Amino acid sequence: MVLVQAIIDGILVGTTYALIGIGFTLIFGVMHKLNLAFAAASIAGAFASLVAWQHFKDLPVPLVFLISAAAAGVLGYLIYLTCFRFIPLKSPLATLMATVGMLIFLEEIVTHVSDGKAQNYPGMLPDARWTLGPLDIRVDYILVFAISVAAMLLLLALLYRTRLGIATRAVAQQPVAAQLCGISLDRTNAATFVMSGVLGGLAGAMIGSSAELLSNLLPLQLTVKGLIVTVIGGLGSIPGAIVAGLLVGAVEKGVETWSVLARDLCVMLLIFVFLVAKPAGIFGKLNVRD
Amino acid sequence: MDYLYGLAQTIGVHTIIGLSAYVVLQTGQVTMAQAAFYAVGAYVSAMLTTLWGLNILIAIPVAALVAMVLAGLAGFPALRFKGLMLVVATMALGEAVREFFFNFDYQIAKGDLKVGPAGAEGFRQIRYFYERGWTTAEVAAFIWMFVIGIMALLWWMDRSRIGAVLRAVGEDELAAQSVGINLTAVKVSAFAIGGAIAGVGGALYAHYTTHVEHTAFGVLMATFAIAYPILGGLSSVFGTLIAVVFIQGLLIQWLPILIGGELRNLLFGLLILLAMNLRPRGLIDPRVARTLRGLFVRSPNA
Amino acid sequence: MKKSALFLGACALALAGFAAAPASSQQRVIKIAGFGAKTGPVRSFGVNSEAAMRAAAAEINAKGGIKLADGKMAKVEVTFDDDRCQAEDGINLVRRYASSDVLVAVGPTCSNVAEPLFGILQKKVSDEKDSGLRFPIFTDVAVKAGLAQISEWAFRNTPNEPLLYDALFKYLQAKRPELKTIMGGKEGDFAHSKAGWDAVMKVAAPKYGMNIVGEVEWKLTDTTFTTQVREMKAKNPDVIAIAAHPFTLCGVVKEMARQGVKPKLIIGLTSSSSMETMEGCARQVEGAIIPTTFAPVNPEAKRVAGLIAKQKGSADLHSTAAWENVIILKSVIEAAKIDGKPETLAADRRKVRDALAALKETQGLLGVTKRTEDREAIKPFVFVTAKGGNWVVSYDPTKPN
Repeated sequence: MVLVQAIIDGILVGTTYALIGIGFTLIFGVMHKLNLAFAAASIAGAFASLVAWQHFKDLPVPLVFLISAAAAGVLGYLIYLTCFRFIPLKSPLATLMATVGMLIFLEEIVTHVSDGKAQNYPGMLPDARWTLGPLDIRVDYILVFAISVAAMLLLLALLYRTRLGIATRAVAQQPVAAQLCGISLDRTNAATFVMSGVLGGLAGAMIGSSAELLSNLLPLQLTVKGLIVTVIGGLGSIPGAIVAGLLVGAVEKGVETWSVLARDLCVMLLIFVFLVAKPAGIFGKLNVRD
Repeated sequence: MDYLYGLAQTIGVHTIIGLSAYVVLQTGQVTMAQAAFYAVGAYVSAMLTTLWGLNILIAIPVAALVAMVLAGLAGFPALRFKGLMLVVATMALGEAVREFFFNFDYQIAKGDLKVGPAGAEGFRQIRYFYERGWTTAEVAAFIWMFVIGIMALLWWMDRSRIGAVLRAVGEDELAAQSVGINLTAVKVSAFAIGGAIAGVGGALYAHYTTHVEHTAFGVLMATFAIAYPILGGLSSVFGTLIAVVFIQGLLIQWLPILIGGELRNLLFGLLILLAMNLRPRGLIDPRVARTLRGLFVRSPNA
Repeated sequence: MKKSALFLGACALALAGFAAAPASSQQRVIKIAGFGAKTGPVRSFGVNSEAAMRAAAAEINAKGGIKLADGKMAKVEVTFDDDRCQAEDGINLVRRYASSDVLVAVGPTCSNVAEPLFGILQKKVSDEKDSGLRFPIFTDVAVKAGLAQISEWAFRNTPNEPLLYDALFKYLQAKRPELKTIMGGKEGDFAHSKAGWDAVMKVAAPKYGMNIVGEVEWKLTDTTFTTQVREMKAKNPDVIAIAAHPFTLCGVVKEMARQGVKPKLIIGLTSSSSMETMEGCARQVEGAIIPTTFAPVNPEAKRVAGLIAKQKGSADLHSTAAWENVIILKSVIEAAKIDGKPETLAADRRKVRDALAALKETQGLLGVTKRTEDREAIKPFVFVTAKGGNWVVSYDPTKPN
């Protein structure tokens, strides 16, 4: 029963990992580039909303989340401008390094804003609990789950039902052909960064909110977790990132009931299992060349 | 003066770890495992000198060898992956090694106190240099002997067929394969050479800081290892050295004296951003590298 | 090419900058260098220590300064550098101090800097062959047990946690005999927190009749604690001891509140008795008890807390140790009768070291601190309890009631 309980917790928490994974995968899918500053921007967005929350007392929680999403969206655009826009496509290492620079920069801004201290962040329904027989479920995790699923559906609708979405997918598949059809690469790429930023900001806010705390320790931690989810899910695959997020969450919480120190090692092992057995990830198509 | 020698030690050790990643990056593989081989070199050599009293000139080659074998072994599975997959796979490997040292507890009594790796507490009292009365300048010279040796080796490699082969694999694997280059051999050797160099770096690190613990070998260190050669440029070994001087000397040591320490990390991130925007192929890009080479070696058609 | 030439030039200039020796001035000056983390996750430690050191120096200078061997007065000059909590930075900083005219250093804030740093110092002063640095360091914050024994040049004025918790559990046995069972929680990947439970509380609790019913752990950067708190709920202990820093301490007590885990008492780690905990989770941590070596319990402590606040720092058990260190160094330097001239620098450092080693006790803000043979401190302490968003002294051994 302890294990079942833990796995339920893990799946619910895993939705936030999924959102972070989607952010990485979306950018990778469109630009075939890695944005290592993504998770840091997500947490920086959450910190922006924290500042707003501290400044205007008693801001409603949904508004705090929206501020976080908006701020992270803006940061997403800034990252595009500073790390991708002006660096030649032929230098993948340069963009990678530039995003590392951005990661360090954002992390330090967050550190200065918080003076390196953990900060109180508004939680969702802190007193509500839901018991289901022997199981005990945190209501705010259900909310996190619901909001994440809604955000993912919205994203999918955006990608498959709007012109912008079609353009994004076209660029992802055939950048040159897309350009020949009159799609602006620059605009589409920028839009992708804003979209993924908004998702990340939402995830950052929810991660903070479910812990009721924000800390400058989070960016590096989430970057590693997001990359793991992205790889297990398959590069560029949104459904893959979702399933992988839930899987990583469940494995983490499940192993935790046995040993906390073994937890991260098990997640690493999970990567190796996937890399060897299914190198393209859960739903990913195997690219011979990247 | 002592301070400058001390700084030279730091710059030397970081140059070595940067060069270890330089070799692997030549073949187009972005590796986050260098911190792991660095850790292996540090722990193995420190145990040899501190626990069993071996000479450091024996301890360093042994440490390098162990790191090389491990890196070679890691190179085989890593062949399956490319790009982001490789980044994450090597990161996972690095973290696994770090977790290993986090749990690694082996001490023996030496005199009235116990020495050796003590898990999360780390491994203290690696005082080989100081116990033997080496001055800061002598330690710096010792470290730079290795730096110069490794740089000379890589400089020669860059200009030889081996370098051309590594670069060919890095530029275009398919093309390299089609002209008969054995991808497996090249990639695994690059990993192994990189591992050996990282092992030497780790050994020197452990002895000049006298204390190692798992936190020193995390994702951050792995990132720095690849940051040096990328920032410096993959066209010349001097790029890595300049990047280390830039980061360790200028940003970390000099900037705080100039503007106060608090803004350092902010500027640090921004300067990396700026450098990559202005010089996407590194501070020493192929053009500068050619000019540099021209200074030292008369080119055949000059 | 031009750019790189410029760049190389800049590098050369930078190196030249390091080499330039500071000019000696007419006014005699004693330089005390502070260092610690002012960037990264533990930035607040460095910020507070710097404020405390500057406040102490201002106070000494306002009273005329430090008396030298020839009877002249010298001003104290305090500097503070950031070591980013990185071992190599700390080592390079201290090498820089040692080759400049700094007399003694106060720092660092991180144990992982202190440990290698003490390793590069000369181990035994009598060992002429040892080429380690001969430079006195007086640590204010880095708290990991037993560090000063690494070198005879290393001194610390940090809390001795085993003694503090021993006293706490003794007090609990006398005053709260109804507390029978205890459960521990710790950050398993952080040496100080791990030792805080494994080597300190876990040892002290059974000595005073408390029964250990279990322990859980988590990692420094974790954000969810459902599994661990469920285990606490299942064991239902009277006391829960949390050996963790404010970030996960707050995470855990918040999860405890959600799951309705209400132990009769929560015990925290010394470093958590700070305002950071209150900013993070004042409501949930209400009633928790922590032993600490500083609280504004007497007029002098209150006055110093005010002075530190004026320098934009907050007074806690760590930063007030930095204050005490500067004040102690003043009397040590005067007692050592140093000359304070450039040519006597090495001898002066040795004199300061010997005088520090000779100290049997020092005057701290909470009372008399005893110095041990292995250059550590046994500081007076109080127990503080979280009450309405503040840490309130709940027991002061000097005022038994």
